[in-house]
Amino acid sequence: MTQRLPKYRSQMRIYVDIMRVIQREENRAKPTRILYGANLSHDRLVKHLDELKSLEVIEEVVDEDDKFYRLTQKGVEFLNQFRAVERFATAFGFAI
Amino acid sequence: MVGPLWFVGFDSLMEFVAFFIALAIAFQALKGYRLTKQKTLLYVNYSFALLSAGLLIDSLAGFLGILSRMLRGVIVLTLVGYTIYFLAQVLAYAILIFAYVSQTRTLSAKSVSVLVAPLAGLMALQQGPVFPIKLLGPLIEYHPVSEIVLLFLVFYVAVQTGLNYSATQDRNAFLVFLGFLLLASSHLLFILTPLGPLLFAIGHVLQLLGFVSLLTMLLRVARVK
Repeated sequence: MTQRLPKYRSQMRIYVDIMRVIQREENRAKPTRILYGANLSHDRLVKHLDELKSLEVIEEVVDEDDKFYRLTQKGVEFLNQFRAVERFATAFGFAI
Repeated sequence: MVGPLWFVGFDSLMEFVAFFIALAIAFQALKGYRLTKQKTLLYVNYSFALLSAGLLIDSLAGFLGILSRMLRGVIVLTLVGYTIYFLAQVLAYAILIFAYVSQTRTLSAKSVSVLVAPLAGLMALQQGPVFPIKLLGPLIEYHPVSEIVLLFLVFYVAVQTGLNYSATQDRNAFLVFLGFLLLASSHLLFILTPLGPLLFAIGHVLQLLGFVSLLTMLLRVARVK
């Protein structure tokens, strides 16, 4: 079998999983939804969200005491590029 | 002259087209590596960059050979071109096989033997006294022995991509599988070229179709919805 899944998710894969949860939630995701959707512990979620914010691919929005996260334009473009790369790698049988 | 007379130049033209396709695939793999830092994509980049370089050199050598047909250097030129292309292909497919082996992380004796078997077989043939199986010498161009080595290597990649397709049922995976299957078939026909020059022409058509299949996959994955 060529497409064996890696034992651990790479940092890139975790970033993409988080961003995909946000995108799935119509670009307005609460931390709890991201936590469950991306299957992360609270500490790791906070760490990765900070990293993604510093990369300017997501941004934090506070709306009536609720905290949301949404993708920036840079984040949307990154996800599109990643999707093409993922499809390319999958076509050859390589997992990302 | 290996193929039919009417086919002179078409082989170089087809290789020139295939050069651009291989280059495009190498570029996409490099783009993927830069984005994800996934090493297997870097191996795909190396592999197709080598293939594209080999295709370019062989096609240019073929074109120059046609231009200087009256000169004595023509045979040497095409032989040098093919030798470089042959070595580039061996390296390219070996890198691709290494990528598959390294991904499954089971670098067993079996995996290694599949990789080195054609090369070991080639070395054994070199010790033989029979003239037609000598690789090194003036008959290297599309020589059955060099093509057998390539057939083994491409066939291994075709099997891997075929397994991937059977597991994923993905259309892009099918196009990659089809691409390598056509490439393997082309090497099979190059081996059989002594039986008839037309097989050489068909082999080149299949080789180009293999690259076209890979290009189709590339266009499909690059299309962002």
